[in-house]
Amino acid sequence: MIILKNLTKIYRGIKAVDNLNLQIPQGTIFGFIGPNGAGKTTTIKMMTGVLRPTKGSISIDGLDIAQEPSQAKRIIGFIPDRPFLYEKLSGTEFLRFKAGLYGMEGARLDEDISDLLNLFELSDWADELIESYSHGMKQRLIIASALIHKPKVIIVDEPMVALDPRGAKLVKELFKERARKGTTVFMSTHALALAQEVCQQIAIVDKGRIVASGTSKDLEEQAGVMGDLERIFLAITGGLASG
Amino acid sequence: MNIFRLLITPRFVGFKNNLKGPGGGRRVKILTLTVVGILFWLVLFFLFYRVLAYFSSQEMIGDVLARQLLAMVLLIFFSLLIFSHIVTALSNLYLSQDLELFHASPATLTEIFLSRSFYTVIDSSWMLIVFGLPVMMAYGVVYHASLAYYLSLIYVSIPLMIIAASLGILVIMVLVGFFPAQRARDIIFFLSLIVIICLYFLFRFLRPERLVNPDSFVSIAQYLGALKSPDSPYLPSQWATDLLWTRLTRYPGSQLLNYLLLWSTALALMVIDIWMAGLIYFRGFSKAQEAKRRTHVGRRILEKTVSALTRPLGPDTTSLIAKDVRTFFRDNSQWSQLLLLGALVVVYLYNFSVLPLERSPIKSVYLQNALSFLNIGLAGFVISALSARFIFPAVSAEGNAFWIILSSPVSARRFLWSKYFAYLIPMLILAEVLIIYTNYLLRVTAFMMVLSSATIFFLVFGIVGLGVGLGAVYPNFKHENIAQVATSFGGLIYMISSSVFIALVIVLEAGPVYTILSAHFRGEAVTHVQWVLITGSFILVIFVQIVAVKKPMAAGLKSLSRYEG
Repeated sequence: MIILKNLTKIYRGIKAVDNLNLQIPQGTIFGFIGPNGAGKTTTIKMMTGVLRPTKGSISIDGLDIAQEPSQAKRIIGFIPDRPFLYEKLSGTEFLRFKAGLYGMEGARLDEDISDLLNLFELSDWADELIESYSHGMKQRLIIASALIHKPKVIIVDEPMVALDPRGAKLVKELFKERARKGTTVFMSTHALALAQEVCQQIAIVDKGRIVASGTSKDLEEQAGVMGDLERIFLAITGGLASG
Repeated sequence: MNIFRLLITPRFVGFKNNLKGPGGGRRVKILTLTVVGILFWLVLFFLFYRVLAYFSSQEMIGDVLARQLLAMVLLIFFSLLIFSHIVTALSNLYLSQDLELFHASPATLTEIFLSRSFYTVIDSSWMLIVFGLPVMMAYGVVYHASLAYYLSLIYVSIPLMIIAASLGILVIMVLVGFFPAQRARDIIFFLSLIVIICLYFLFRFLRPERLVNPDSFVSIAQYLGALKSPDSPYLPSQWATDLLWTRLTRYPGSQLLNYLLLWSTALALMVIDIWMAGLIYFRGFSKAQEAKRRTHVGRRILEKTVSALTRPLGPDTTSLIAKDVRTFFRDNSQWSQLLLLGALVVVYLYNFSVLPLERSPIKSVYLQNALSFLNIGLAGFVISALSARFIFPAVSAEGNAFWIILSSPVSARRFLWSKYFAYLIPMLILAEVLIIYTNYLLRVTAFMMVLSSATIFFLVFGIVGLGVGLGAVYPNFKHENIAQVATSFGGLIYMISSSVFIALVIVLEAGPVYTILSAHFRGEAVTHVQWVLITGSFILVIFVQIVAVKKPMAAGLKSLSRYEG
């Protein structure tokens, strides 16, 4: 379960995240959508312990990220929007390094790495340097590295960037399957069709505040607009009126 | 501790993979770097060996001078180490791209801090080994030092390094804590100012010009006294000097106190750093994640000047140059080096202003003109060093955005020549200021003034051509930090080529200058044969200059054409 309480981040007087409150049950795929600059990445950075909130608290599976950062981070798999990769490491070396950060080692790890590389169709490139990977392959490696320690919570910022339809389908199925097994997925995305397809709950954030939240049905009611998520999103964030 | 080991592995594994990579070119690179490194070591070793051997042959003051030189070298190393740690700690602890990965992992703050501090020490301290070892070896050889001296080099340099590192890291943590988030520009500006002020005081403190003129001291004792400054019992470099000097001269006194001082200070500072990191490091890192706010001071003036100067070159070239100027001044790591450049120029000019020419045993007028001639080479090397830092990386500076140039209607030729002209003008102005002002300080003849101004003017065309051209031959669009480009293999090739080019021009001009000046001072006329030789030399100089511009630019264009369609 993820609980955000009165979460606020102020940058030089500007409220990037304004008193955010969320409660996401275990095993839920949660969509976090909003226009550019709405505060999505800032929220995610605070949830993963990379950024200090100005106010409020974050609890991941009962662990406060500010009080018990190491324990909380141990159960999070983070896929950032602009990930960093060591270009001079091979895919296998990177996964082994990432696993090491989560205290994993031994023969079992080699099997896990091999399984993940197979799953993401990177086996043929496992020992090649990352610098020779395509954009999509790098994204698949990043997602694989976030899953290596079998996290209870996956926090992902724009998961489908650079993925081909096959890769995108794989990731969608993977998230659904993990959620069925109890993993909570917190996903920020601009791909509204993706959010509508896989998310059980969605929050629309604008100017740092949650302006609507719930299931697709709840959002329809709140927006007073029927139909796809794009129409609901535009109605709530003002795009429909201005457009 | 396992996590700490893990956190420092990516760079070592990456380095190993880089060495293992395919291609014979890599082997050539490693071989060239090794040969150049060994040559550099040998040159530095023999330079110090000669100086120290000369000192040791002087009774009374020889040892005093050698000891003072050691104190000076260690003080300079120590100061540079602190500054270097400040700069590298800023990027390693706060700005590196992989930090997000680490902070999102379960590694504790102390583990992250220690691993990044380790990187900082490695990044900053290689200089001590590269430059320090030949100097210390020269001392050992001249003073026939025992094994104890060589061992004490290890015992002394480790705590000295830890002290410098801890101080540098502490300074940056406190600065990042005080300044608003992501104000690295202000921090570096502040630090650069500190360095300039320190350099100034160090020079004024040492007053090296007095030492060449013992007559200005009333007594030997006063002269020796002057030689001994600066001498401070509170400086760690002084403890190191005392320790090493005792080992060198096998002075029987105990150095336990200095050992204890060095090691206890090092360990105490380490503890303080870790404690402070627990208090303020994460707050600073979190601030560094926040977006920058731009300052607008001086922006309009700069943009209008650039636009006016480049208008005749056409809108595409104007746009390219304006982009370069904007990105240069917005990139903290780039523009802040202008301040260091300022310090370099000040020190360079200051050295000329304090030369005691009138007290020299050599006839002053010869010395002035000889110095002026050598000054062409020296200024050329200063311009080369600056070009290595600013011009050689100009093509690589496009980075991941190079596709914008490739996909635009601007040809590679126009792109490269716009870089050339953008850097040529400021470099020409700087070179002429350096030469004319130093010539004015030296009070040289009109002939030397014209010759050196003209020579440096044309040298700059070649130096810039080599910089831009070779920068395109060895581009690195995937750099993490533009400073890496200057210190790459291509950067080394550029420095070698540029040095050879300058030396060639100087050698070709030396004969004619000697002939003309000798004839002038003897009141004789230059013979017809001599005029033919002089003309031949100058034609060769012109030829070398043309080659230095055309060849590298052509090679650069050929290299860039590989990226086009």
